[in-house]
Amino acid sequence: MLQKMKNILVVGPKKDYQQIVDVLYQEGTVHLQDIPFFLDDPVFSPMETGKTEEISNVLLKLHGIARILPGKAVEAEIERRNGELREKTTDVLLSDAKEMVHLLESKVRDLATRKGDLELTRTTLERYAKVMEKIQPLESRLPILEGFEVSVLLIQREYRDVLDLIRPQLKAITNNQFEFIAADLDDTTTAAITVFNKKYSQEVHSFLFSQNVNEVRVPEEYANMHLEEALSLIEKRKKDIAKEMEEIDRELGTLSEKWQTELAVYTRLLEDRLEELRSLNMFCQSDHTIMIKGWIPKKFLKKTRDALMEKFGNRVVMTEVPVPPEEMEKAPTYYDNPRIVKPFEFFMKLVSPPKYIEIDPSPLLALFFPIFFGIIVGDIGYGLCILGFGLAMKKKFQKVEWMQQLMNIMIISSFPTIFFGFLFGEFFGDFGEHIGLLHPVHFLGITWNRVEAMIPLLVLAIAIGVIHIFVGLSIGILNAYARHQKKHLCEKAGMMGVVLGIILLILTFVKVLPSFMMIVSAIILVAFLPLLVYGGGTMGVIEVMSTIGNILSYARIMAIGMASVILAMVANELGGAIGVVVAGIVIAVLLHALNIILAMFSPSLHSVRLHIVEFYSKFYEGGGTEYRPFGREKKTD
Amino acid sequence: MAGWEIPLGAAIAFAAGAIGTAWAQSRIGSAGAGTIAERPETSGSIIVLEAIPETLVILGFVVASMIIIMVE
Repeated sequence: MLQKMKNILVVGPKKDYQQIVDVLYQEGTVHLQDIPFFLDDPVFSPMETGKTEEISNVLLKLHGIARILPGKAVEAEIERRNGELREKTTDVLLSDAKEMVHLLESKVRDLATRKGDLELTRTTLERYAKVMEKIQPLESRLPILEGFEVSVLLIQREYRDVLDLIRPQLKAITNNQFEFIAADLDDTTTAAITVFNKKYSQEVHSFLFSQNVNEVRVPEEYANMHLEEALSLIEKRKKDIAKEMEEIDRELGTLSEKWQTELAVYTRLLEDRLEELRSLNMFCQSDHTIMIKGWIPKKFLKKTRDALMEKFGNRVVMTEVPVPPEEMEKAPTYYDNPRIVKPFEFFMKLVSPPKYIEIDPSPLLALFFPIFFGIIVGDIGYGLCILGFGLAMKKKFQKVEWMQQLMNIMIISSFPTIFFGFLFGEFFGDFGEHIGLLHPVHFLGITWNRVEAMIPLLVLAIAIGVIHIFVGLSIGILNAYARHQKKHLCEKAGMMGVVLGIILLILTFVKVLPSFMMIVSAIILVAFLPLLVYGGGTMGVIEVMSTIGNILSYARIMAIGMASVILAMVANELGGAIGVVVAGIVIAVLLHALNIILAMFSPSLHSVRLHIVEFYSKFYEGGGTEYRPFGREKKTD
Repeated sequence: MAGWEIPLGAAIAFAAGAIGTAWAQSRIGSAGAGTIAERPETSGSIIVLEAIPETLVILGFVVASMIIIMVE
């Protein structure tokens, strides 16, 4: 059901505009509306959005600092401080925040940069240490000379032939003042160490670079010393780095303890103010007053008015503006459904929201969807499994809103499933019947065994289709009446009459109804056909065929259910046919599990489809505006 | 004892529906996958669109069952 909306106008002194906007923002109930018609009057102008850019910049910095600082502020503490600071003007908040940024930014960034550098050094040292450990066995074969440089090359083993090409080149570059030793490090890598006079350094390196050889340059401070010595030095340096990083972490921790809450509070407050400022161009101002126009759900009207009254007394006035019916079409749509219907709003998101004066079909969806689902699945065992699955998933994903909604739908739908399971005498297919637990109910002269009573079920499905489509057409009539669309109204009424006539005619032909009904149905057809032609023209008549097709489409309620029963029976048969008891049980359980998963997916999809394609097409227009109140977005509703 | 014509008729009714559905769903599926990649928010409608051609196979199934049950 859609909540009744009221159009309101808030008028107040301009000097208080910031507080007025803030009160409305904190209330979070008004759906703002542009007020261009005031602007025709030169006295009024739209408000300036002001310092949004400056606030964005400061926010960016605050976010940056908060990201570097470890830990998170406590929500309760943020709330408390928020309450204390809320009264401050945007300018004061902004200057406070700037001061905080000034105080923290360079310090925090320095620490972060130092930490980053240390991390980089540590990674590099680890890489060197790894290579050094690998080439340590070669060291004994290497002369250490003052004024000579050591370079280590790592080459994949399959390309080791390249060493034979490098050696003569190095010889040429260094005038034979070099040493070149190669050895296999492991299964994949060959290392080569070259020692050469420092004066050829540049040429050697550029030559190696041109050959695309992976060269590991030993850092300056570890050059010209034994590898063992270098390794122990590296180890020592790593320890120092760890200590230094610990120190930095401690410093960041102290800063975080002191500032995290403040940062969070100012970030939140400034975000709110930014949002408020950005909405300012939807407000209107004269020299001394401001005006805010918007839509508000009727049930929030008093609460918001009281909040303004408490804060400003009579200085700020909130009045209801009378709206002509054609304007009401533009009011935003706010679903205000009882708890049992609420989950089904999930399916309403598949189409654009209804226009305000349209009838909201979500309560009908909540009524028909579980019935369709129940008839299709119709099994006590499956119903219980779906109920259990729904409850378990709801508990596991408490924070995921769509999962909560979907699982609520499953839980609600599991009850009709159990009910129809009782009617059809199904407990995991025919397992219940096998063990003598239950039998299909004999009702209206029919034993509702789904495999045998196929034709009665088909008739039931089509009958449900007729009812559903007729409900849809009736809503279409109401919508057309609300909009004073005479032609639409005639079309829907004509369609209902013609389809009813055709159904009566068919029923008379198959001798379900006495033969005099032929005349009645002919009269109905003759009476309603002109209405249909008047309302919908030739297309209206062609539409009759599509409506009949829509009704036949409800046969799927029986057909998908049938497929599900047969699969359940196959599971039982196959399980029973296997000689080994355990294997039989495992196979039966697996097949039933597969069937339950299919049973949750396919019937839901087809029930939704029956609504969106067959049902909605009879009345739904959509294209409404969703109610989006001006305020901080609520995480949970 | 029914002749071979009845089960064959039922099989044709079902198979034709299934082939029709498969053909339509494959085309909707590939187009839908492309759409979802570009605009993930459309996934709800695409799933419903994907289910639309299933009417064919369901009606095929109904006709096949009716042939088997009703044709003596």
